[in-house]
Amino acid sequence: MPASGDDSSAPDPPIGGPAIETSGLTKRFGERTAVDGVDLLVPRGSAFGFLGPNGAGKTTTIRMLLGLTHASAGSMKMLGHPVPAERARTLQRVGAIVEEPRFHPYLTGLENLRIVAAVRGPQAADRIVPALARVGLSERAGEKVKNYSQGMRQRLGVARCLLADPLLLILDEPTNGLDPGGIQEFREMIRAMVEQEGRTVFLSSHLLDEVEKICDAAAIVDRGKIVTQGPIAELAEGGARNELILGVDDAELALSALGASELVREARPSDEGVRVVLTGDLNTAAQVNALLVGAGVGVTRLEPVRHSLEQRFLQITSRLDAADRPDEVPA
Amino acid sequence: MTAIAMQMFGADVLKVRKRRGTMIWVLVLALLPVIILFAAKAIQHSSSPAKYEPAGGTAGFTDGVRLLCLFFGPLAAILIGVEAGTGDVAAGVFRDLVVTGRSRLGLFASRVPAALAVCWSVIIVGYGLVLLGTFAFASNLQTPDVSLVLNGLGFALLATGVVCTVAVGFASLTTSKPAAITALIGWQLVASPLIANISSLGTARDAVLSQALVHFSPVHVGDRGASVTMSQGTALLVVVLWLALFLALGAWRTRTMDT
Repeated sequence: MPASGDDSSAPDPPIGGPAIETSGLTKRFGERTAVDGVDLLVPRGSAFGFLGPNGAGKTTTIRMLLGLTHASAGSMKMLGHPVPAERARTLQRVGAIVEEPRFHPYLTGLENLRIVAAVRGPQAADRIVPALARVGLSERAGEKVKNYSQGMRQRLGVARCLLADPLLLILDEPTNGLDPGGIQEFREMIRAMVEQEGRTVFLSSHLLDEVEKICDAAAIVDRGKIVTQGPIAELAEGGARNELILGVDDAELALSALGASELVREARPSDEGVRVVLTGDLNTAAQVNALLVGAGVGVTRLEPVRHSLEQRFLQITSRLDAADRPDEVPA
Repeated sequence: MTAIAMQMFGADVLKVRKRRGTMIWVLVLALLPVIILFAAKAIQHSSSPAKYEPAGGTAGFTDGVRLLCLFFGPLAAILIGVEAGTGDVAAGVFRDLVVTGRSRLGLFASRVPAALAVCWSVIIVGYGLVLLGTFAFASNLQTPDVSLVLNGLGFALLATGVVCTVAVGFASLTTSKPAAITALIGWQLVASPLIANISSLGTARDAVLSQALVHFSPVHVGDRGASVTMSQGTALLVVVLWLALFLALGAWRTRTMDT
């Protein structure tokens, strides 16, 4: 289908398949590669975080997905449709905020939505009032946007997205400039959109805490490359999936018993007691407990090591930093 | 026109007409000079009827048309065209319109009729003032007939509409409101008359838009308006080329720009 923008009568994009799928997506600006062979898979019906430091290539990736800039190489699909080939049809059911939401400041919130509704098509006009109610702006819709706070503009941006009745929302750094209360409200709204309305939310952020609290899955991007992606819990665990922290009454005896066992790859004292890396997975934790009890060690605590996404992110990026500077001696 | 095209047209009209600062200047440029013209001439006539003719009549009509269509109306048209051409990009809203999936050419195309609608609304009011002055202050002078009145209206719409459309295209090309306004008003007020008066340029002066437009005037413009003579066919060709060139450039830029 040609990418004309006037096909408002086209059927909805089909349900099924990933919400976003990219393969080898690349963007070069002259000599600089901003996005480098990104393979992204965003499942439908989830909140997916696109996590990375500033300048990692998040916004450029989003801009390519939305057709705001051309890809240098690679392929993209959104809602099962190849883009940019079927961009017009696909974007009918996609709502997006790129960077910060911008509006005509001299127009009211309602008028700004009317402008976008006019471009989206007749059904969009009927969604203006519900969209304003959904984001809690019904009372202030008649005020000029220049008088809106940053939080209100963000909410108006989401209302603008809702005019498409989107199957997929793409939000670029959506909590920038929000106060803590606004951030909390925003999180709840995004979770409701995913859990109650079945929408997919693709959310880019450099704030790890935000992604961890809002999203079901995430991809970590750094220097234009996807470093890892998957469910948040798995990403956070990373290489710590077979680590235990033990509280024991005799650390020396415990280390001696653990050191002689094939169940344990590494055991070392730590501030919390003894830290153990298992040779197998966490299912062998009970055997480790039995081993210690059998050796006469009193076990007061036994729990898997849980990394936060932040720890994992720092782990990954510091590893990349080290890889980039092999000649430097660590401090 | 499809329903969507009508809605987009309405949205673009809303964006321009709600731009209060621009619209105040547009109204000042399009209406105030006409009011001042007839008021000044009426005062002169009342102070010395023997020395000064009544303000209205065919002579007043000619002055009014010249003022509205060739001097201040085009300036108002430039402001409206530039506003329509740059408004979305300047506000950062253009990318939000692009991500709706609507074609960029469609977005560009709806700017032109919207700008013309706003421009012509103001110009029609201005022309109404010209007619009011023409007939109200005619006294015993001959007044224009219906044909001349209609031709005058057509000329007012043509002269300002062409400039407005060129301004939409040029502003869409530059995407900068200050740059577009400065360049277009500079061209209209300074460069065009200057080029038209350099006789050594010969027929190259035919390419000056304002000189071509003068050739469609139903009233005698005189030396202050036209320095170059050309056939109506040549004048029409010049106007069409200006429109085609700047619409094409504006559309190209709108279609290809990174947002």
